[in-house]
Amino acid sequence: MTVCLDTVGAEAARPFIERANPEHPSLIDIAHVVDERFGVVNIPNSIWIDEDGIIVRPAEAAWALELAPADAADADAPPPASPDAAPQDAMGKRMAEMMGAASQIVSDRDRYVAALRDWAEHGAESDFALSPDEVIARSGRRGVPESTAAAEFELAQHLYRAGDHDAARQHFREAHRLHPDNWTYKRQAWSLEPSALEGSPMARFWQGPLPGKETDWAYEGDWVKDANAIGPANYYPRFKG
Amino acid sequence: MLITNKAIDRDEFERGTGWTLKPEGACRGEVCVPLPMGNADGGAIDIDAVAESLGMPLVRHSDALAALGPATFGGNVLATAEAPELVLPNLDGNPFDLASLRGKKVVMVAWSPY
Repeated sequence: MTVCLDTVGAEAARPFIERANPEHPSLIDIAHVVDERFGVVNIPNSIWIDEDGIIVRPAEAAWALELAPADAADADAPPPASPDAAPQDAMGKRMAEMMGAASQIVSDRDRYVAALRDWAEHGAESDFALSPDEVIARSGRRGVPESTAAAEFELAQHLYRAGDHDAARQHFREAHRLHPDNWTYKRQAWSLEPSALEGSPMARFWQGPLPGKETDWAYEGDWVKDANAIGPANYYPRFKG
Repeated sequence: MLITNKAIDRDEFERGTGWTLKPEGACRGEVCVPLPMGNADGGAIDIDAVAESLGMPLVRHSDALAALGPATFGGNVLATAEAPELVLPNLDGNPFDLASLRGKKVVMVAWSPY
């Protein structure tokens, strides 16, 4: 099953779900309940649950097989030019930085998919099905800072949906400060800001200052800055056996 | 969970936090945390007392709006490997219960359009 995490609501997910036309349950989580209950801190993430409802792998980076050539070409298509977004050279520079960081992200696609197939076939006998103690230990740290961040994020989402984006930003910033490793908190907040790619399918991936309006940016970090700070190769933790 | 009203009843608390209130305390799977007297059996609960027992920080935005963070007492996101309760709508708004997939292996994939 899939769960779409987006404060914006179901309509943002609709084109993707309708195009995929899945046979599996495809759910909408506008309040990021899955983050809070299962420890999702970036997307895509997966959780494996056995026939008895016991988690055998907690939230971790999840990969699909390579896209079919037609879909891949579509996904890689450059965004349409936005002649109104000035200045163009600043926009081009930012695009290059984004693509540069994204190209360094390390995928464990083959290992992840092989492990998933192994579990599907062998169940509890699979080396990739973890013990309950290991599942709990790997589920992520949650002390007072992380829990307070979750409460801040919940307030931020509520205020955003209520139309008070300014108040929401204050709580998003607190969530980012208290739980800096949580990319979902950041990507969600950044994706609600104006984009230099407005109208493009890539619009919500801009996640940074508008060219020429850098001082207006509401957050300390942005996608390029934060991805480069940790090193894009560390953006997704490596798949552990 | 969001708190807009001081008096929180047990259903609201259970839905909002995923913890079930039983005579032995607040429970999730096989894990139960004892609660101060009077919070496990009645209707309304003392949110401050229960929050303290479970290590849940309360963040206040205004007099009328606050949020309760998830439990921290174990130090990990999961206190048990038993999958938390999860009921979410599909695109048409119809609720779907993760527990309805018992008997099948489930890969739950979280994604977003951003």
